[in-house]
Amino acid sequence: MSKTYRIGIDIGGTFTDIALVDDEGTVEIRKVASTPDDYSRGIALGLKAIIDDFGIDPGRVAGIVHATTVATNTILEFKGAVTGLITTAGFRDVLEIRRLRIPVLYDLQYDKPQPLVPRRLRLEARERLRPDGSVKTPLNEDDVARAAEVFRREKVEAVAISYLHAYANQAHEIRTEEILRDALGDGVYICRGAEILPEIREYERTSTAVVNAYVGPVIRNYADALAGRLAEIGIDAPIEMMHSGGGIMRLAASVRRAAALVESGPAAGVIACARLVRGEGRGANIISFDMGGTTAKAALIENGAAARTDEYEVGAGINLSSKLVKGGGYPIKMPFIDVSEIGAGGGSIVSLDSLGRVAVGPESAGSMPGPVCYGRGGTQATLTDVFVTLGYINDVTLAGGSIEVDAEAGRAALRQQISDPLGQDLAVAARGILMLAVSTMTRAVKAVSTYRGRDPRDFSLIAFGGNGPVVAADIASALGIQHIIVPLAAGVFSGFGLLRSDVEQEFVQPLLVDTKQMPADMLPGIKARLRDRAMDALRADGYDTGLADYHFSADLRYFGQAYELNIPGDMNGGDIGALEEGFHCEHERTNGHRSTTDPVQLVNARLSVTVPMASKIARFAPAPRFERTDRPVNFGEGPVMTAVVGREALKSSYRPGPFIIEDYDCTCVVPPNASARLDALGNIEIEVTPA
Amino acid sequence: MNRVDPITLEVIRNGLSSIADEMALILMRSAYSPVVRDIMDYSTGLCDTEGRIIAQGLTLPIQLCSFPRVMRFIRKRFGNDMAPGDVFITNDPYGSGGQHLPDIYVLKPIFQGARLAGYAATVAHHTDLGGIVPGSVAIYATEIQQEGLRIPLMKMYEAGKPNRALFELIEANTRQPVEVLGDLRAQIAACRTAEKGLLSLVERYGAEDFGTYIDALHDYAEAMMRETIRELPNGVFVGEDYLDGLGDHPEAIKIRATVTIADDTIDIDFSGTSGQVAASINCPISLPESAAFTAIRCLSHRDIPNCDGYLKPITVRAPEGCLLNPLFPAACGARGVVGYRVFDTIMQALAKVIPARAIGGSEGGPFLLAAGGTYQGRQFVLNEMLVGTWGARADRDGIEGISNPAANISNQPIEMIEAEMPIEVVRYGFVPDSGGAGRNRGGLAFVREFLFHQDATFTLRGDRRDHPPYGIEGGGAGAPSGHVLIARDGSERLLPAMPMHNFTARAGEIFRLVGAGGGGFGNALEREPARVLADVMEEKVTVEGAARDYGVVIDAETLCVDHDATRMLRESSAKEAVI
Repeated sequence: MSKTYRIGIDIGGTFTDIALVDDEGTVEIRKVASTPDDYSRGIALGLKAIIDDFGIDPGRVAGIVHATTVATNTILEFKGAVTGLITTAGFRDVLEIRRLRIPVLYDLQYDKPQPLVPRRLRLEARERLRPDGSVKTPLNEDDVARAAEVFRREKVEAVAISYLHAYANQAHEIRTEEILRDALGDGVYICRGAEILPEIREYERTSTAVVNAYVGPVIRNYADALAGRLAEIGIDAPIEMMHSGGGIMRLAASVRRAAALVESGPAAGVIACARLVRGEGRGANIISFDMGGTTAKAALIENGAAARTDEYEVGAGINLSSKLVKGGGYPIKMPFIDVSEIGAGGGSIVSLDSLGRVAVGPESAGSMPGPVCYGRGGTQATLTDVFVTLGYINDVTLAGGSIEVDAEAGRAALRQQISDPLGQDLAVAARGILMLAVSTMTRAVKAVSTYRGRDPRDFSLIAFGGNGPVVAADIASALGIQHIIVPLAAGVFSGFGLLRSDVEQEFVQPLLVDTKQMPADMLPGIKARLRDRAMDALRADGYDTGLADYHFSADLRYFGQAYELNIPGDMNGGDIGALEEGFHCEHERTNGHRSTTDPVQLVNARLSVTVPMASKIARFAPAPRFERTDRPVNFGEGPVMTAVVGREALKSSYRPGPFIIEDYDCTCVVPPNASARLDALGNIEIEVTPA
Repeated sequence: MNRVDPITLEVIRNGLSSIADEMALILMRSAYSPVVRDIMDYSTGLCDTEGRIIAQGLTLPIQLCSFPRVMRFIRKRFGNDMAPGDVFITNDPYGSGGQHLPDIYVLKPIFQGARLAGYAATVAHHTDLGGIVPGSVAIYATEIQQEGLRIPLMKMYEAGKPNRALFELIEANTRQPVEVLGDLRAQIAACRTAEKGLLSLVERYGAEDFGTYIDALHDYAEAMMRETIRELPNGVFVGEDYLDGLGDHPEAIKIRATVTIADDTIDIDFSGTSGQVAASINCPISLPESAAFTAIRCLSHRDIPNCDGYLKPITVRAPEGCLLNPLFPAACGARGVVGYRVFDTIMQALAKVIPARAIGGSEGGPFLLAAGGTYQGRQFVLNEMLVGTWGARADRDGIEGISNPAANISNQPIEMIEAEMPIEVVRYGFVPDSGGAGRNRGGLAFVREFLFHQDATFTLRGDRRDHPPYGIEGGGAGAPSGHVLIARDGSERLLPAMPMHNFTARAGEIFRLVGAGGGGFGNALEREPARVLADVMEEKVTVEGAARDYGVVIDAETLCVDHDATRMLRESSAKEAVI
C-alpha cells in the first residue's frame, strides 16, 4: 500500500511554513516566502515544491490543516469588507458606545478604536422582543427593505444583524436575513448575532457578529482561492482550519465563523508546545515565545495546559491578556487560547522620530516589500536588517538558500536612516536597537507572567517561530529566565502544531432557568438536542461521528450574579444536584465563598465535541543540506569570530557560547553568557547565566 | 540586604497590582448587584503595614484616596487591637473616613503568623442601605441620618468569628438584602484572595526584604511625580467652575481651585468655594483629594505606580464647612458629582499652563437615576450611573461612547436590566450636534430612555444644564444635559437637574436622560471643512449644525462642501464674533 500524507500550512505575515507527515510518522518541513497579494499563491508554490521534491502523488494527500493570519491582518490593517449593521430601532450606537471602560487610566491623549461599521451604515429596524423571547413589536419588514436599499447603494459587502434578546428567539433575525438575502443576493456576506453567539449581553454579541461580518468576505475569498489552487495541483483532500481555541474545523465552517480564525496561527504554536511538554513529562510550567516577521507572542502553559479565555479583543495594539484591561480592541466572545501579542517581529520597521527617539515597529515591512536585506524592494530598515548587521543571522542566504540576503543593502539602510542621523557608529546603533526590541518583546512575556503575579524565573521558555530562537537568549537574560527549549522544527513549529491538533467544536444552548424550577426531564432533553446538533454538524463536515468525544458542561451562577462558572457534568438522569454541588465547590475555589441558600441559575448548557485527528510523529526527516561558515558576530563588545554549527553538532553535554546554530528553518543564537546541548529527542536546551 | 534589584522591584510591583486586579476580578465576578457587577463602581487595593496604599485595581481613579483615610482611622482605633481573622467595616463619612453611605468599606489586616504584613482594602457602592429613597441617594436629604444606615468603623469579623448582630442589622435596613449581603461576601472573598497573594509574595522575599522593596516603590513613585511637576512652569493658576444648583430654581454653586506650582510640589487650595448646602451633595475631603490627584496625574506620560509615594508632593486644602469639607451632620449621598466638577475646575486651571495636555469639559460625571418598586413579589432597585463623553484635546477631537476621564465605569447591559426588572430601555445612542464646536470637536452627548412597565418611584442627580462643559482656547461649550419625563400621550415635562424631591413614574411613561456634550478646543471656524463634512457623513453633525456652528456650507442632497459659500459664511461669522 502506498503512503498517504497530511500537510500543515501556517501562513505568517512574512513566511509560510509547511510541515508534512506520512502515515509512518516521518515529518518533512519547508519554509517559503508568503505572498500577501494572494496568500494562496505562496501556499501552492510551497506545496508544489514539497510534492515534487518528494515525488508525492497529489492524490495521496489525505488532509490539509491550515492556520492563517489573514483574519487578524484584515482587522489590524482595516482592510475588511465594507460592512453594514442592522439593529433594533434605537440602538444603532451600541456598537460604538461599547462598554465605555478603557484599558488605561490617566491618559487624556487616548484614542478609542474606530468602530468597524461607520455610523451611516448602522441602520435600524422597528421590532422588539422581550427577554423571554416573546414578541412585543413584530418586525417591520419595510424598515429592513429600506436598509437593504441603503446597503445596496453603498455597495456594502457584508451585513451583521443584531437584535435585542435575539438569543431567546431568532425569528426576527432569520426573517431579516431572508429579506436582505433576497434584496442583496448571495454575494453579500450575512452574519446573525444570535447565530454566532446565542448569549445575553447585547454589546458583546453585536461586536462578535460585526467582527465576523467584517472579516467574513475576506475569508470566503481566501477559502475559494485556496481550494482552487489546491485543485490545480491535484489535491482534493479536505481542508481544515485551526481556530483560536486550539482545535480545527472544516474550511467551509471557518467561512461562517471567520472571527474564530483571529488567533489561528498563534494557537497552533501553543498547542504544539503543550503537546511537547505533555508528551515528555518535562517541567510542565512553560512560557511559549513565538516570534515571526510581524509580531511576538507569549502564552502561559501551567501543568501542561494552555491558559484559555472566552473573551478576546483583537487589534488592541499590545494584547495583554489580563481580563480587567478591556476596551482597547474589538471584542470577540468565543473560546480562545490566551495569547499575549505585541507588534514586534523581524519585519518591524526601525524608525527615528523628530526628537531622535528610536522605535521598533509596530509597522512591519512584512514579506513584501520585506526587510531591505531581502532585496525585494524594501527600503526601510527593519529588525532583520539589524540581525544581519550584528551577524545574528546569515548574511548570504536564509532558509537553506531559498532566500538570498543582501547584507550590505541592509547595513546601508540602517546607516543612512538611523546611525548616521544619530551620529553613532553602526554597530553601536544596531546593539541599541536590538536591546530596545528585546525590552519591547519582554512585555508580551511579562503579560503572561509578572502581570499575573508569576515570576518568569520559575518558568522555562519554549522559543520558536522564525525569529524566536534568534532573540530568546537575550529575552531570557532580560527577565532572569535560565532555561530555554528550542524544539525541533522550531522555525515552522506552528505549522507542525497543526498536525498535532484535533477537531474541536462547541455548541451552546441558552437556558436562564432556576435549577429548582427545572422539570426533571429537561436536562436529558437538552443534552440529546445538543448532541443531535453536534452530530449533524460533524456529519455535514464529513467527520466520523463514531470517533467523537462529547463533553457536556453547564454555565451556572447564583441568581442575581452576572458572571457564570462553567461546571463539567454528564447531566445523566437529569441529576441537577451534582451540577449544583459542583458549582458551589467551584464558586468557593474561584471566588472564595459559597451560598447554600441563594437560588442557582442555569444560564447555558454547553457541549464540546472533539474528534481525534492528531498525526502520530515518529521522526523528522533530515533537512536539506546547506553550507555553514563561521562569521563575526557582535554580542556587545564588538565583532567576535563565532562558530556557526548545525543542530546535529551539539552533544548531550553543554557547549559554552558564543556560537550560532543554523538550522534549515531557523537560527538560534547562543550568546557568551549561555551554553547549549541537545536532548535525547533532538530539542536544543539552552542554559542562560543571569546577567 | 541593601541593594534594590530593578527586576525584583518590577516583579513585586506587578505582582502587587496583579493581586489588586485579581481582587477586582473576584469582586466583579461574584457580586450580585448590577452597580458592582456591571457598572463596576467599586475599588480594590493593598496597603502596607503602615496603611499606605501600595497597589490599586484598574478601577476608579476617583476612589484612590479613600483607602488611606479609612486606614488612618483603623490604625488609630484598632492599632493595638487587631488579630488574624479580623475584618473591618464602615460606611460613615464622619469619624471613619467614608464618603457616602452606599459605599461600604471592607478591609482585612493580613498577618504572617503573628506579624502584620499589610492590609487588603475594598470599597463597593451598595445598591441600597435604606433611607428615604431606593438606592439611598436622596439629593434632598439635609442630614446624614435621613440617608440610611450608618455603620461606624467596627469589626465585622473578630478573629474569624462573624458579628452576627451587625449582619442582621444590615439585612433589616436594606431594601435589597440578597444583593447587599451577596456583595459583602464578594468583598470579603476579594480580601481573602489578597491575603493569599500578599503572603506568598512576602514569604518569597522575606518580610524584611519585602519591606525594603515597598519603601523603594514609594520612593520611585514619588521621584517620578516630582520629575513630572518640575517640568511645569512655576506659578499660581486659578480655575473656577460651577454646579447648576438645587431644585426648581437653582442657584449656582461655585468651586474654586488655586493651584500653586513651586518647583517639584503642587498645592491646591479650595478657598473661595461655596459653603456646605442643605442637600446631599456635600463632599467629604477625600473625594476632592482623589479628583485633584487624578487631574495632576493625567499631566504625566510616565507609568507611575499607584502607591502612596506619588501623593507626597501634592497638598490639597479646603476650609472646614465648605462644600468640599463639610461638617457633621451634612448629608453627602449624592456627593459624587462634586468630585467630577473638582477635576474640571483643576483642569481649567492647568489648561492655562499646559493647554496641550488639557481636555475640554466632559459629560459632567455620572448621571444618577435610581428607580424602585415591587416586582414579582420583591423590591427592585435600578441604579443607573451614566457617563459617556470626553471633551476635545489640543490635537484631536473629543470622544463619544467612553467613561468620564476621572471614572472608569461601565454601562449596564440593556438585556440584563430588562431580564431582571419591569423596565425597558427604548433608546441608547448619540445626540447629533451636541459636541462643543471647535477646531477639535467635543464628544457627542448620549441619550438613554427608560420605559416603566409598572409604577415606580425614582430620584435623579444630574448637572451641566445651566453650566455646560467648558471649551478651551475659544472652543464652544458642549450641549446642556436634560431630564425629561414623557407621559403616555407623548407630552414632555422637563425635570430639574438636581430635583429636591422624588418622582413617581406611571406604567407606560418614559424617562429620557440626556448627558451633556463635551467641550470643544480652539476656534470652530478654523476646523477643516473636510473634517466637518466627515462628521456630517457620519450623522454626528447635521447640515444645519455645520453651517451654524462651523460656518461650513454643505449641500444636503449631494453631501458636498460649497467652498465659496463656506468662505463667505466664515468671514461674516468671524466679523460677528469680533463685534
